Amino acid sequence: MDEIKEILKKYPDRRGALLPTLYVAQKAYGWLSQEALEEAAKALNLPPATVKGVATFYAMYKHKPMGRHLIQLCTNVACMIMGAERLVDLLKERYGLEPGGTTEDGRFSLVIMECIGACDRAPAMLVDTDFHADLNENNIFEILEKYE
Amino acid sequence: MIKLTIDGKEIELEEQVTVLEAARRAGIKIPTLCYFEGLKPFGGCRLCLVEVEKLPRLQTACTLMAADGMVVKTETEKIKAARRAILEFLLINHPLDCPVCDKAGECELQDLVARYGPDAGRFTEGKRHHPESFDDPIIVRNMERCVLCTRCIRMCEDLQGAYAITVTGRGSHSFVEPFSGGRYNCEYCGNCLTVCPVGAIMSRLHRHSYRPWFVEKEVETVCGYCGVGCSMVMQMREGKIIRTIPRMGLGLNNGLLCVRGRFGYDYLQSEQRLRSPLIRRDGELHEVSWSEALDYVASRLKEIKEKHGPQAIGAIGSGRCTNEDNYMLQRLMRFTIGTNNIDSSARLYYAPALLMLEGILGQGITANLIPGIKNADGVVVLGGDPTQINPILGLQIRAASRDGAKVITLGRAKGLERFAHIMLPGAPSNVDVVLGMIIQELREGVELKGENKWLQEQLSKVKVTEPIEGIPLDETIGALREMKNAVLVLGPEVLQSDNSDRTLLLVAALVYLLDARVFLLSERPNYQGAMDMGVLPDMLPGGRPLEMFKQKAEEALGREVPADRGLNLFEMIDAASEGRLKALYVMGENPVFNMPDKDRITEALKKLEFLVVQDIFLTETALMADVVLPARAWSERTGTYTNLERRIQFIRSGTDSADGMEDWRILEEISARLGEEKRFAILDEVWEEVVHVSPLHSGLGYDDIKDGKAIWPYKGEPLRGVEETYEIQGLDNIRPIKSGQVLQLDRPLYHSGSISRHSKALRSIEDEAFIVISTKKAEGLGLADGDIVKLITDRGSLQARIKIDSTVDEDNIYISNTFTEANFGSLSGYEAGRLGSLSLDKNPVKLEKV
Ligand code: SF4
Ligand code: SF4
Ligand code: SF4
Ligand code: FES
Ligand code: FES
Repeated sequence: MDEIKEILKKYPDRRGALLPTLYVAQKAYGWLSQEALEEAAKALNLPPATVKGVATFYAMYKHKPMGRHLIQLCTNVACMIMGAERLVDLLKERYGLEPGGTTEDGRFSLVIMECIGACDRAPAMLVDTDFHADLNENNIFEILEKYE
Repeated sequence: MIKLTIDGKEIELEEQVTVLEAARRAGIKIPTLCYFEGLKPFGGCRLCLVEVEKLPRLQTACTLMAADGMVVKTETEKIKAARRAILEFLLINHPLDCPVCDKAGECELQDLVARYGPDAGRFTEGKRHHPESFDDPIIVRNMERCVLCTRCIRMCEDLQGAYAITVTGRGSHSFVEPFSGGRYNCEYCGNCLTVCPVGAIMSRLHRHSYRPWFVEKEVETVCGYCGVGCSMVMQMREGKIIRTIPRMGLGLNNGLLCVRGRFGYDYLQSEQRLRSPLIRRDGELHEVSWSEALDYVASRLKEIKEKHGPQAIGAIGSGRCTNEDNYMLQRLMRFTIGTNNIDSSARLYYAPALLMLEGILGQGITANLIPGIKNADGVVVLGGDPTQINPILGLQIRAASRDGAKVITLGRAKGLERFAHIMLPGAPSNVDVVLGMIIQELREGVELKGENKWLQEQLSKVKVTEPIEGIPLDETIGALREMKNAVLVLGPEVLQSDNSDRTLLLVAALVYLLDARVFLLSERPNYQGAMDMGVLPDMLPGGRPLEMFKQKAEEALGREVPADRGLNLFEMIDAASEGRLKALYVMGENPVFNMPDKDRITEALKKLEFLVVQDIFLTETALMADVVLPARAWSERTGTYTNLERRIQFIRSGTDSADGMEDWRILEEISARLGEEKRFAILDEVWEEVVHVSPLHSGLGYDDIKDGKAIWPYKGEPLRGVEETYEIQGLDNIRPIKSGQVLQLDRPLYHSGSISRHSKALRSIEDEAFIVISTKKAEGLGLADGDIVKLITDRGSLQARIKIDSTVDEDNIYISNTFTEANFGSLSGYEAGRLGSLSLDKNPVKLEKV
């Protein structure tokens, strides 16, 4: 709520503050559930239906539940050559994690990305907002184990 | 002056309008799809394309403003080709399932394709698929048919103000959806259904049973649910209503309806309608013939009058019956039997409020036009949520707010949350403190011109000795001072307190200081008419006080008018329980259910020697009656209603009823059996007498009413002046009363007293009574919306789910009086307030978590 109030200060009207507010709601709820949308609507005093219309228009919001941590792993050319596909298989073996899916315990979600601009240090991934590169079969799990 | 040429026709315009509108005025029809009269233009479908000289591309006529010297062409080959292409695009995704679509025959897409469309589509890709949604009890959504014109959304946002639906997704995955994605959970006005050009959103009530060509008969009538009096068209087949719809340009509602008017008509076909007159023998009600029932009623009334005198007989009229019915009831009581014991449930609030306002400010003070509300620059709302009690009036307040009017609410007004600028707290029993605080400030610096001496004297006495904290008084006063064209909307709640006379005086003072137009919310279609017809113990037809007008009425009628003021509703109940009232004639009212304190009313009615009930259902009151007479329902008879603006309008019969008799006719038959010589063969003769007796209505014929000319002031003259005075206590010592938690009457949007419980459609929207509490109370008890709580009063308890309303006062707990299982009447007590209205102050209530 406080964060939303801060956002509100920056925008001339409530509708303008909607997109950033949806980000805040998404962070708090993991994804834009009906409940998250309702909260966002309440915070901005906008009709819930209007909020939903805007939220579903943009691709950058999550409309399905996501794990606590989002792994965005690149499998584009450079990363692929450097073994990214093998990493995908390993994630499946170790955590039962499929691309586009979420682990049963809700810990990780995996999204396969197109080039994330780190080809020189491929393969690379983002975990939430942290960047990790030069991945291999071992260090990827060392890294991931730090995310509870 | 703008001059332009469209299709070779020269057109002159006084004002700025769109090319589409200019063409329409010249009789040239440009095809449209996303345009809808009254909605903001969207310019999305591009069907209204026209060629304009000197403009490079084709232009959309619905958004292009007509300019001087424009030369426009509306039907060229280029335009036709463009329209054909657009339609072809729409048909890529639009299914061709017209044979099973209820819209076929009045579908705008079908019509357009027939006129411009391609014979065959060139696209072979599959159409998008999206299953038809039956998640909602009322609205079926078929998004494969949606052409994304957004008419429904603009209707819901810009006119209805409900903001319930939106376009979700993008591109060909765009659909119109309510927030939940399934059930609408909205205001269910159905106005979106009116504007949808295709069969994408349809009413479930006539699914697959309606086609435009099925309609055998259309009848224009007026809604029978509330005091707004919206016009509507009943569409019928085989003597039954298939649906009721509004029409653009028809009536004060001009194309809009609320949920009750739109979907609440199915009670008419309820299995539980009364079919035959009933007489009680050996404790049971038995079916008898009409003549037997009528003879019996007359003989019993005669017997009781002879034995106990006319004062032992009383009658309750009805805000759901017509003027003619109510006139005939008071005629039977006053002129045939000889008593003024007659009243109606308008007593609970509407009548005392109106009479006192008129007493202070003059007769007809509340006779203002509803469509004029939107032109106000300020609206003050108090005493209940207009968007629930009188929804179409509520929309006018929303419209005013949208046009820049400042809206100030006191107390409950959830439906105006998005439209109000200042929302002041106002518990029903403490609203006088807030009003007093306002008056104290507002009177400063105002030069009182002495038009209303008495009121000015009272006004100057106002003193709040203990103000309420946390009221943004400066802001409120600032806003009030700026109002040049103010409207004040008054609802029932603030009149249901011990202090109601003082509160009403303060309201009158505010009206006076603001020079505001007042509107008095009315829950029944004809409370005003019942009063104007003389269904009051101390007033004769035309709103004339008995003592002043007795002689005139006697001269006009050549009949004696009983001299003594009669008993009002509360007094009749008391008189019955004390054995002074022996017979009660109830027409179209259900006091056992509709009045608070069910036990007290039941006990009182039990003591009667003779109870007659005239109704369309076997109500709780009818179950106690000695004789039950089946009446005709709203759609089965003609007559007039007077709405809260005092507009007199015609209701017309459309559907059949072989069983019931019109209320006025039943009364006429009984009067004749009691020796009345004057007979009334047709309804017009009843109205003729009304016009003859009531100075208010003199000269007003049915033709004027049918022409829509019956708007106050009528041709007759209002007689009563302003100079009435009242004894108001404690004006100089206004402070909050701590009455603890009290039970209040909820007036929900989807229901209307004991009629709507017979509507399956309305029940499918809301099928249970909710306990409405404030946000604060809910937080205090750790409750969320929908949780079940136990409500306890000294009369009993019940369990129901809660609804949280942020505009409700913390100490007031609301429950409606609609459902047999859980209702206000059986849990509350009442007293007659000082104003003669209902007082609910001493109605303690407790809530417990379960
Ligand atoms: S029924 Fe009325 S409130 Fe509901 S979505 Fe349609 S227009 Fe909006
Ligand atoms: S549902 Fe009907 S009114 Fe609404 S956008 Fe679709 S076609 Fe237009
Ligand atoms: S506002 Fe009143 S009169 Fe109009 S449709 Fe609704 S219930 Fe009927
Ligand atoms: S290909 Fe993976 S970061 Fe560029
Ligand atoms: S009617 Fe003009 S663009 Fe749709």
